[in-house]
Amino acid sequence: MRQRVLTSLMVLTAVLVSTLMVTVPVIGQAGQAPAKAKKAAYTPPKLPWGDPDLQGLWPGTDLIEVPMQRDAKAGERTEVTPEEFAQRQAKAERTAENDKVAYVAKDSKVGINPPGYWLEHGRPQKITSLVVDPPNGRIPDLTDQAKQKAAQAKQAKQGHGPNESPEDQSLYDRCISRGVMGSILPVIYNNGTQIVQGPGYVAIRYEMIHETKIIPLDGSPHPSSNIKSYMGDARGHWEGNTLVIETTNFLGDKNGIGLNGGGTPHSADMVLTEKWTRTAPDMMEYTATINDPKTWVQPWTIRMPLRLNPEFPLYEYACHEGNYAMFNMLKGARADEAAAEAAKAGKK
Amino acid sequence: MRKSLTLFSTAAAAVVCISLTLTPGKAQAPAAPAKAVAKAVAKGPRMPDGRPNLNGVWEYIGTANWDIQDHSPAPGPMWQLGAIGAIPAGQGVVEGNEIPYKPAALEKKKQNKASAPAEDPEAKCYMPGIPRATYMPFPFQIIQSNKDILMAYEYASANRLINMGKPIEAGSDTWMGTSNGHWEGDTLVVDVTGLNGLAWFDRAGNWASDKVHVVERYKRRSNDVMDYEATIDDPSVFTRPWKISLPLYKRAEKNAQILEFKCVEFAEELLYGKYKKQPTK
Amino acid sequence: MRRIPSVAAAAVGLLLNVSLAVSPAWAHHAFAAEYDGKKQVHLEGVVTQMEWINPHTWIHIDVTEPDGKVTSWMVEGGSPNILLRRGFNKGSLEKGQKIAVDGFQAKDGSNRANGSNITYPDGKKLFLGSSGTGAPADPGPGK
Repeated sequence: MRQRVLTSLMVLTAVLVSTLMVTVPVIGQAGQAPAKAKKAAYTPPKLPWGDPDLQGLWPGTDLIEVPMQRDAKAGERTEVTPEEFAQRQAKAERTAENDKVAYVAKDSKVGINPPGYWLEHGRPQKITSLVVDPPNGRIPDLTDQAKQKAAQAKQAKQGHGPNESPEDQSLYDRCISRGVMGSILPVIYNNGTQIVQGPGYVAIRYEMIHETKIIPLDGSPHPSSNIKSYMGDARGHWEGNTLVIETTNFLGDKNGIGLNGGGTPHSADMVLTEKWTRTAPDMMEYTATINDPKTWVQPWTIRMPLRLNPEFPLYEYACHEGNYAMFNMLKGARADEAAAEAAKAGKK
Repeated sequence: MRKSLTLFSTAAAAVVCISLTLTPGKAQAPAAPAKAVAKAVAKGPRMPDGRPNLNGVWEYIGTANWDIQDHSPAPGPMWQLGAIGAIPAGQGVVEGNEIPYKPAALEKKKQNKASAPAEDPEAKCYMPGIPRATYMPFPFQIIQSNKDILMAYEYASANRLINMGKPIEAGSDTWMGTSNGHWEGDTLVVDVTGLNGLAWFDRAGNWASDKVHVVERYKRRSNDVMDYEATIDDPSVFTRPWKISLPLYKRAEKNAQILEFKCVEFAEELLYGKYKKQPTK
Repeated sequence: MRRIPSVAAAAVGLLLNVSLAVSPAWAHHAFAAEYDGKKQVHLEGVVTQMEWINPHTWIHIDVTEPDGKVTSWMVEGGSPNILLRRGFNKGSLEKGQKIAVDGFQAKDGSNRANGSNITYPDGKKLFLGSSGTGAPADPGPGK
């Protein structure tokens, strides 16, 4: 009798233990986002303090030629056709050839910009656009409130010249800030982005305009909405090996979500959710969901595949300290006004 | 009977233990322990590699940014601010209290001082350079990874990455310089070159040229205090190297963080005011 | 320094509009606000200094007029970070180097111009490609 009780207990224990061991992985997965189809997810190495290692230089340079919004003809297609890709490749080749021309042609046209080879170039990409949601790859409509604001801003400029004061320039040309999205959307050069991690933190450096976004991972709350800033307040956590960053506390009516922070200014209520997932040793999938019901009628998402490039270190982009252009633009406008005044006086 | 009870209780205990550690809920059952590890490392005195842990939000308390040498209280540049704009007394942070300027360089310091505050790069919201960034009246955060060390300063969003690998040469001169670091025992030694000579040391106009070579030393004295030294070597300006030394304090708020101080807008009138379109009379 | 006669300048103005239209790359409108599309200049001078600063580099040159008078000009280029990543550095354009510049003069008449073409005296473009030493001089942080 004793023997049988003992045996039964041992069997019971064994069954319980093995059931739990089988159950746990299932429970573990239930909370995760459904894994991307096809291949097994890459597991990045872990830092000595346990966090996934996302460190490195992840410039957006490769994506320079990808349009923000998808051509309407492409519909819901996220990849270009083979013909379209061939066109992108041909264009890249032509640019590379142009850049190699060592001597200025005798009949070369003089422009008002620096030399064309003083830029950085992308690599032909298959994606049709950076915007991936809504499914048509186009930014949703502005709310009526946002449209009204834009009209008012335009109205306010009536009767004023283009360079009356520094405020007439963009926040980028004033060297103030491009905002979070403006600091990562690929532009003509200096798309440097670098991740540095410490215990309890992730820091993201953006080359233009020398920004550092520090993301605490300790679950602490955002400050009250009385503290607002251009880059907002970021808080992060891990979902599996994906870094999820939520940023709020933005200054409103400043930067937009366009190149260099241009475009329709977002409101102070915007909630920006970014996800960084290392999908291969040298690839990072970056997504950003813009949720600002005061400005756009629905949330929208940008996705960018970023390539690790150890040969793209960030250099200091001090900007404001060397902003001769601001002085020159203002002086130029004053000179234009003086010339116009003199012309008017001359006519009398 | 006893034997079966023992076996039963052992089995039961095992089941309980297993079920406790395998509690369902948040997906990151593996990550929860990692968060605890990270937290322990963050607060501890050493990184997993054994090096001192300099992570945290740090700030200098004192008046070095007004004047790195001993100074008495003095009126400020704008009487309209009353006592708010006045200069407090301060014990200097220069060892020996003497800055060994060559005669012509001392003249330039005096000119700088006379032109302050309008010509002080701080007033223009220019990045403060090294070492001034360390003792501005604003906090900075150190993010020390398993490779390089990032310092992010609240003032003007200045920042710099201290390269802890093979030393890099400065390709050009910058406001925050090119920083190469290494450990000497428990002291972080940072070699800064490629500074552009345009930043000042303080509001009193102390300066060095673009030939300056700064060597910093960071050493934790305790959990909350770090000793900072900066040796300044510029034979074109000074007759010998000289040293700044001061303590840095860990910000003790539970929610300590650096905030944003993008001061360009506050400096635009100072810089561009006279080039703006003047209102017509 | 030669000024282009006004007829040619008008033609240049037309070309300028065309080239701006086909060169959307330089999104800064700063250049158009600083420089006068009717004042094309060709400068030949000697480098006295190059400021490796952002947002744009500035090359200072001394231009000697036929009558022997020396005028100092400042020429605006692109961001130095691109050049640094290609292996160039502050030693790449030395004081004393002769260069030639085509661009437009500042609206306020001061001796500033944008460097649309910046070449050596033989017409070879400055800072073309990489410095030839391969990848940037440093291995880069964050490796």
